[in-house]
Amino acid sequence: MSTLTKVLIVLLTLASISLCAIVVTYVSSEVNYKEKHDSLLTRFQAAKQSEDNANKQFNDLKGQTDQEKLALNEKIAALQQNVSALEAKLKETEIARDDARRKEDSWEAAAKDFAKTVEVNNQLRTNAEDQLKNVNAEFIKERAQHEQTSTALREKMAIITQLEDKWKGLLEEKTELQKKLDGMLSQYGKLVAEPVAVTTVSEEARVAALAKDIDLKGSVTSVDLKNLLAEISIGEADGVKKGMRFHATRGDKFICDVVILDIEPEKAVGWLEMIQDGVELQPKVDDKVSTNL
Amino acid sequence: MIPAAPSHGKKITAPDNIYTALLAVAFCAVLATAVFVAYQCYTQYETIFSIQ
Repeated sequence: MSTLTKVLIVLLTLASISLCAIVVTYVSSEVNYKEKHDSLLTRFQAAKQSEDNANKQFNDLKGQTDQEKLALNEKIAALQQNVSALEAKLKETEIARDDARRKEDSWEAAAKDFAKTVEVNNQLRTNAEDQLKNVNAEFIKERAQHEQTSTALREKMAIITQLEDKWKGLLEEKTELQKKLDGMLSQYGKLVAEPVAVTTVSEEARVAALAKDIDLKGSVTSVDLKNLLAEISIGEADGVKKGMRFHATRGDKFICDVVILDIEPEKAVGWLEMIQDGVELQPKVDDKVSTNL
Repeated sequence: MIPAAPSHGKKITAPDNIYTALLAVAFCAVLATAVFVAYQCYTQYETIFSIQ
């Protein structure tokens, strides 16, 4: 056997032993990847199952949560409505409370005023009772005087009754005399004046005027010289009566007299008297007529 | 193989059986390593050559 072969055998032996030692060391110290894989796979499946369970529970909880959320939302809406209603009631109650306080204040003030008024009224009542006592005393006195006065009044009433009878008789006589006097004075355009009251205090008695002017005025509306008749513009409505005498004038000139014969409401016809001589002084339309010059 | 007789004046050399024994030791070491690796593969992966 050659030396080279021997060397190679020794080297081969050493290399084999060292390589085997390395391989044995490596393999013994190597990690068991299959076991690790299996354990990881098992853990992965367990984790996945846990995930599924968790998802299922999550979904269940989510559904329950959604239902509870809806229910809670409904409750919240109902509670909000209740809150709104309660707030409205609270406002109304506050307003009512404020009104009640105002009323309370006003009633307190009114009660104070009423108490003052009662005190004043009590004072007034006391005064009135005192005055009533005085008045009753005066009333008793005046009652006695009244009885005396009533007796005197009855006596005077009897006298007045007698005087009224006399006055009625005098009034009838006055009426008859007035009629006679009116008939006489109306022919001359006069009227009996109303008697003026005679003063009774300090003046002396005086005679009232017996007559006054009628003072009717109008105009001639037509003239009939052949029959000596004329028509004037005033009638019974103005106070014209039969027998009245009107004086016809033209400016400052006297024309004639017109004695009323016939009367109508708005006009009257009369007889012409005292006609003046001369053409210019003959009566014509638009001449003025009046009862007094 | 016949061991060589010692001779004076010559270099002392090991007999050839030693080298045979070394080869046997190397073979045994390789075989034991292969068996150990196979055992490890089987115990860990339940197979020797391929992973299922």
